[in-house]
Formats: sequence, structure tokens, C-alpha cells
Amino acid sequence: MILKKRRIRILCLRIFIMAVLGTWAAVGCLVMPPGIVNAAQRETPSFKLPAYEKITLKNGLTVYLMEHHGVPLIYVSAVFPAGAVRDAGKSGLAYLTAETLLSGTKSYRKKQIEERLELLGVKYYAYADIESAGISMSFINTDQDKVFPLLKEVFQDAVFDPAEFEKRKKRLLLELVQEKEQPSMVIGAYFNKFVFGSHGYGKPIYGTRASVKKIKSIDAKAFYNAHYRPEESVLVIVGDFQTARMKKKVQELFEAWRSKKKPPPLERIPLPAFDKSRVLLVNKSDATETQFAFGALGIPRNHPDYVAVQVVNTVLGGRFTSWLNDELRVNAGLTYGAGSSFNTYRDSGIFIISSFTSTDTTVKAIDLALDVLNRLHTEGVDQETLTSARNYLIGQFPPLYETPGSRASLLAAMFIYGFDESFVNDFQKNVENVTVEEARKIIAKHFLEDSLQFVLIGKAAAIRDQVRKYGELSEKDIKSDGF
Amino acid sequence: MKRFVLILLAICLLAGASPICAMPATEDVHTFTLKNGMKILVLEDHAIPNVTLQIFFKVGSRNEYPGITGLSHFLEHMMFNGAKKYGPKMFDRVLENAGGSSNAYTTENVTTYQDWVPESALELIFEMEADRMGSLALDEKIVESERGVVLSEYTTGYENSDYELLDDQLRSVAYQTHPYRWPVIGYESDIRNWKRRDIKDYFDRYYAPNNAIAVVVGDVTLAQVKTLAEKYLEPIPSRAPPRAVHTREPEQRGEKRLFVHKDVSSPHILIVYHVPETGTADYYALDLLSAILSQGKSSRLYSALISDKPLATEISTYMPNALDPTLFYVYAVCADGVSVKTLEKAILREIDNVVAKGVTGTEIQKAQNNVVASFYRSLETMSNKADMIGTYEIFFGGYQKLFTAPEVYRKVTAMDIKTVAAKYFKKTNRTVGVLEKSEGK
Repeated sequence: MILKKRRIRILCLRIFIMAVLGTWAAVGCLVMPPGIVNAAQRETPSFKLPAYEKITLKNGLTVYLMEHHGVPLIYVSAVFPAGAVRDAGKSGLAYLTAETLLSGTKSYRKKQIEERLELLGVKYYAYADIESAGISMSFINTDQDKVFPLLKEVFQDAVFDPAEFEKRKKRLLLELVQEKEQPSMVIGAYFNKFVFGSHGYGKPIYGTRASVKKIKSIDAKAFYNAHYRPEESVLVIVGDFQTARMKKKVQELFEAWRSKKKPPPLERIPLPAFDKSRVLLVNKSDATETQFAFGALGIPRNHPDYVAVQVVNTVLGGRFTSWLNDELRVNAGLTYGAGSSFNTYRDSGIFIISSFTSTDTTVKAIDLALDVLNRLHTEGVDQETLTSARNYLIGQFPPLYETPGSRASLLAAMFIYGFDESFVNDFQKNVENVTVEEARKIIAKHFLEDSLQFVLIGKAAAIRDQVRKYGELSEKDIKSDGF
Repeated sequence: MKRFVLILLAICLLAGASPICAMPATEDVHTFTLKNGMKILVLEDHAIPNVTLQIFFKVGSRNEYPGITGLSHFLEHMMFNGAKKYGPKMFDRVLENAGGSSNAYTTENVTTYQDWVPESALELIFEMEADRMGSLALDEKIVESERGVVLSEYTTGYENSDYELLDDQLRSVAYQTHPYRWPVIGYESDIRNWKRRDIKDYFDRYYAPNNAIAVVVGDVTLAQVKTLAEKYLEPIPSRAPPRAVHTREPEQRGEKRLFVHKDVSSPHILIVYHVPETGTADYYALDLLSAILSQGKSSRLYSALISDKPLATEISTYMPNALDPTLFYVYAVCADGVSVKTLEKAILREIDNVVAKGVTGTEIQKAQNNVVASFYRSLETMSNKADMIGTYEIFFGGYQKLFTAPEVYRKVTAMDIKTVAAKYFKKTNRTVGVLEKSEGK
């Protein structure tokens, strides 16, 4: 067993955890050895994204190619507009479709796919998150001609064999019960549902038992036909290859792929608005601790304030010395970790503060976290603290895009969320541009402290009466289906 | 098997053709030893303007005894809570202000401190690491608040992981004498009761430069690192080497069984076998066997117990890095409606099958190919490179072994795998643990 001192649990529902999300936050630094102050600003050369080529095939498929010659590997990341927001009443369908995408094509059976890829040491997985679904792979570059033809079939001719589908579905039905036994795994799903309600972003990615039971392999096939289509998808290849040759190969392999069907229009449900605080108390009768999360609507990924929000969030709850972790963990010893983050989607996002503590210190910990948020509004961020947070973000930025895999994810995210390499290339400049005054505006605008929404998972009988004070109380039992 | 030769050839060609090839080799790692006995390993890597420093202390829960279990991990926490120059909270504040971050982990065998910084903060981390290594404060008040943090870590671990609960209980049964029998986090009663004096004694005994190694990977030069190591780390005096862990686990004399009650939806089963420590002759065959059993969907256990017949929802095998003889783990969770008895039987049937008939050439090739691919993946980041260099230096008898590992794995034969399976996967050498709602009648 390995115990880590400082890994903080930050709620994040998405696969593409962008850049600085899920990191940490800071209190001002006072005593600095001479010559080291602001070293990060002074010397570190600005980090630029290496060159890449973006092309659009005749069928509308967008392709990004980026060479990366450190190790003889190739990373492929394909992303389709086929996430849980498209479930259309069949919660879990996007996930089950992705999960069974690799379980057979026109010319390869499930076992053949697995044996072929695994014999070559290929690492591969398919996934679905809220807005998209995808396949990610990495393999040794000399094996590309054994891997790409198979991938081509997965894009165009997956079969969704009913027997294989039922097996996976049966396991999912049990996993939906099992995941409730780990509160830290499910609090994000409760929170998104509680905040977004019937909007697509409130949909549980893995579905509910009631909804999953009704899904059949033909539903997955229909979902695949409608949503796995070249026009709105992206294929990213990063690694040890030559661009000109890879371009030709990609055209030969993927240009003939045609969408089979027009997708149904995406349900447009308005985003919620809150005029009062609400509390969802999820009872876990054998709990010895309470997991809690509270927050409000946040910002979409391509919001112009995105970087400035990260700078302020670094102070509040984005790093080890963040105010939240400093108060709840370091000063009070109430928890192993506390933090905050902005989870961003295409059209919206959430601002969330989260931690966990013993049942009997639940209110103490939540009150303290609320005090910290309030302090952000009343005191703002001083110059020293701001400088430290900026240095931190800039210094920790290059390792986020060090590997071909992380660069592939970045390029895919650029396509999905509509931003470009200036995010990387201007990152340092944009971080440095956040002034004390700008931070004050950002706090008022995005770090909402009114009408907060709370989700608590813990022993309801022990904390019910005390947590009423946070807002209008409703309750669920963790063993009930869904969120 | 030919794949290996081809791949290695391909790497050399690439290295020759491409000036920015970052694929390191043995000779790229430079080492030197300070006068106080601390060994420093350096790999220059200029891919990004950052650097990582990772210090491995050769101390973990195997060095503890009842009464102070969990102290290695607690000391790891206290290392962030103030030293002579950089007082309480200063380590993190100063580091983060300079654009750096840090973490640390404790296992049964080692305690490791990791700093990730822009290259401009290289001198700072040497200074701060030397400060806490040479003169840790151990403030009485902070010991108390940090005790609360660790108790929260203790609670949240068991609250959120049935595996952790089962593993910790099972090791207390599988081991009769060896310190691997208690959890790294320690017994709750020990966490609540150790004193500052215990921590100070422990620090003095184990946090000596001659009981540690430092690995530096990143946008630096050997000369730079040497100057800083001599300036900051060399003045720390060496100490008498700590007493070796001499307790040896006696041979097990028959199957042991454990039952843990917990209100879970599906039973969990953990089967362990005693095996030798990391890096010994049988290690490589056992490691490949672990991959053959559970790595990927085409592995033996996954295909038999999940793909073909729905008996389990998850299955894994695992062998931790260990300085002393350790355990080979097989872990599974029952599928809906499947009894733990049925699952246990099915797992043991697969294992007995390997013992009786061995594995195929294709299975070995697949496992070896995965070793090569994982080797490349493990060298993608500065942080992973530092981790691998340190891990091989400590557990495998030298960082050089990292670069020859693919070759060693390549030499493992089907007969070797059959032999180790027969040698270790015996009923008398096994402990079986079940975590379930009710024990039944």
C-alpha cells in the first residue's frame, strides 16, 4: 500500500481535465531568501506548444497531427459528439455504447480485437463523459499498420453484438450499486444532478439501474449510427511519425467514412437559476465521515475569464497552500484535504468546494469552508498572494503538456471546446495580466457565495438537524437508485 | 521474441537520426556520492524548462514495531511542518511561490519526497530539502493538528475502499512475524498515542544522508547539481547506519483463511501467496505471470472470469516492490448472484491450470511486448524517469537494471513460469480473505 501525503480529492467528472483544474491553491509568501524571489517569473522561458497540422478530410473529419520524437510511441485520441447529454431519456446509453464499441466489428470479433491489440502491447480504452465519447490508444510506432485498419473498422463498422452487450450491461447494473459504497466516487454525480436538474449536464454518465435495465444493443447501434459521425468528430495523432506520410495514411484510411444518419437535435433545456440555498442530504447509515460539496454554476471552457478564474481559484482551493486546505487541513486538522475547482463544459460549468471530515465535525468543517469563501469576498487577494499564485500556475504549466498523450488530449479539447494554441502560448502572459483589481472583479463575478447548493453524503440521523441551517433540506438514501 | 531485437534496433537508429531524441540510456545517468554517504543520480532532460528532485529515504513501515506503527508515514507529514530556516508552513509557501509543487509518499519500504519546479527554483529546493533533512523542528502543537489530519486519512481510506480494509486485515493473517503485517498508516491506537519523542528518535535514526538517495531529472546540468548538492546536502552529517530489519517470515504451514464483515453489495475475495522480494531470480517470471493472469481483457483471469463466464466484475493480480519477501495478490469482486465460493473455485482452477500446464509462447510474447511498451511509457515524463531510476536503484540493486530490464524479461521461458507457479502457488503457501455482508452458517 502507498500512502500519499497530499493528494487532494477534487471533484471532476470529465476525462479532459483541462490544464490547471484539479491542482491546488495559496497564502502569501513572506520570507524569501534573497535572489530567489520571483525566480519563476524572472528566468523561466515561456512554454510554447510545438507545431502541429490541422486538416479536414472530405467527409468532414477534423484531424490534428503533431510530431513528438522522444520515445517510439504513437498516441491516438478520437473524440465523437456522443456523450451523456445525447442520452435522450436513456440514461447510460452513451456510456454503454462507448463501453461496447470495441466488442466487435464487421471483420473482427471482440476476442480478436483484444488479442491483436494486447499482443502488441497497445494501451487502449473507450469512454464517454458528459459531452463526448472517445477512444484513446498508444502503441509502438512500428505497429501502426496493424492498429489503424482496426481503428477504421471501429469508427465505421462496430456491430454491438447482443450477447456481449448484455454481459457488459449486467456488470454495469452491479457497478451502479457498488459505486455507492464509495461516497467520494459518487458525490460528483449527485452534485451535478442537484445543480443542473433536467439539463443535460445533470445526467449521470453511467446511468441509473432503472434506465440501464431498459437499454438494448439495438439502442447502442442506433446511438452509434447517429452520433459517431465524421463531421463533428476529431482524430488526433501525436507521436513518433512523419507528418506528410501520416497525412496520406489518414486520408486513405478515414476519408471514405460516411455518417449513416442525421443526429436528432440536441435537447435545449435552459440552465437553472437559483434564488435560494438548498441542501441535499444523502443518507449513508453506516458512514463514519461526511463527504461534502457546495457551490454554484461556473463558467464554460471557452469563457474569456477562464485563465483569470484559475488564478483566483489557485488562491482559494487549487493548491496545497490554498486558503481552504490551509484552514481545514493545516490549521484545524479536520480533514485530509480540502479544495475547490471549476469544472467546465461547452455551455456552462460548476464552481465547487469540497472536502470530507468525521461525522461529528461536519458543521465545523462546512462553516470554516464558508468562512474562507466569505474572506475571499471581504478581503480580496493581496499582491503577494496573487504573485505566488501566478508563479505557481506558470511553473506547473509545462509538465501538464509534457507527454504525447497529454498533448493529444489538449488538441482534442481545443476542437471540442473551440479554443486554440494561444491558450498555451499566451498562458504565461494571461496569468501575469491578472492584477489585484482584476482578481476582485473575478471574485465578485464567478466565485458566487449566495444561493449556494450543498450536497452532503453521511449519516443523516447524526447531522440532519444541524445542516438544515444551510438551506432548504431534501433527503435521499444512498441505496436508492439514481442521484 | 524477435520483436525485441527489432525494437531495440529501431531505438538506436532513431537516436542516431534525431537530435532531440530523449530516450535515455544507462550512460546518460550520472552518479556521485557526497562525503556524508548520500548518493545523487542525475539525468539531464531538456524537453521542458522544469526539473524534479526526488529523495528516497530507506525507511518505511517495515522499520516500525507495535507501539509506533504508522510513524514512518506520520514523519513524512511532519517533514512539511517546519524546520530551522523554513518554519511552519514555509516549505509549501516558499516552494509554491517559486512556481513549484511537492508531494511525498510512504510505503512499507521507502519514504519519498518529490519536488517539481521550474528550473529557476533548482537551488531553492536543494536548500529547503537540506533544511528539513538536517534540522527538522517537530513543533509539539503541529504534531497534534497533524494527528487529526492522519486520523482523517485513516477514516477516509477505510470509508472509501473495501479493498484497503480487506488487504490490511489479510496481511495481519498472512504474515506471522514480519512487519509487513501492519498497515502503512498504522494502528489507530498507535496514531492516537505516539509522542513527539518517538518521532524525534525515529527521525534521528533514519533520516540520515547515508540512508537516502536523491534523483534529479530535468533541465539542469550535472555540474549545477553537483555544486548545489555539495553546498547544501554535503554538510549534513552522516549517522550510524540503522539496524537492518532481520525478522524473516517463517515458511507457512498450511492455508489460512479470514472473514471480514461489511455491508457490501458484492463479496470481495483476496488470495495471497508468499513470494520472494523484488529483483530476485524468480521475480521476473512471477511478474510476467502476473501480466499473463490479469493484464488486459485477453488475460487468463479476465477472459475466464469476466468475458467468458460472468463470475466477477473485476479481477487483478499484483506484486508490490519490496525489500523483504512479499506477497503475490489475486483480487476479485463477485458478479451479481455469484457466491464467493464459486468465484474462489474458478480463480483457483485457473491458477492450478498454470501450475499443471504452464503458459503458451504467445502469452509470454504478449507479456514481454507489454513490458517494452510500458518501459517506453514510463520514460515519458521527468517525474516518471526520476521515479524509475530511484526505484531501480533501491529495489533492483542499481539504476542500471532499469535499462537492461527488457532484456532480462526477454530471457524468461515458459518453463521458468511453470516452475515459479508450481513453487509458490501452493495451498500451504496461501491465505484467502473474504469480505462480505454475512458469513452464513
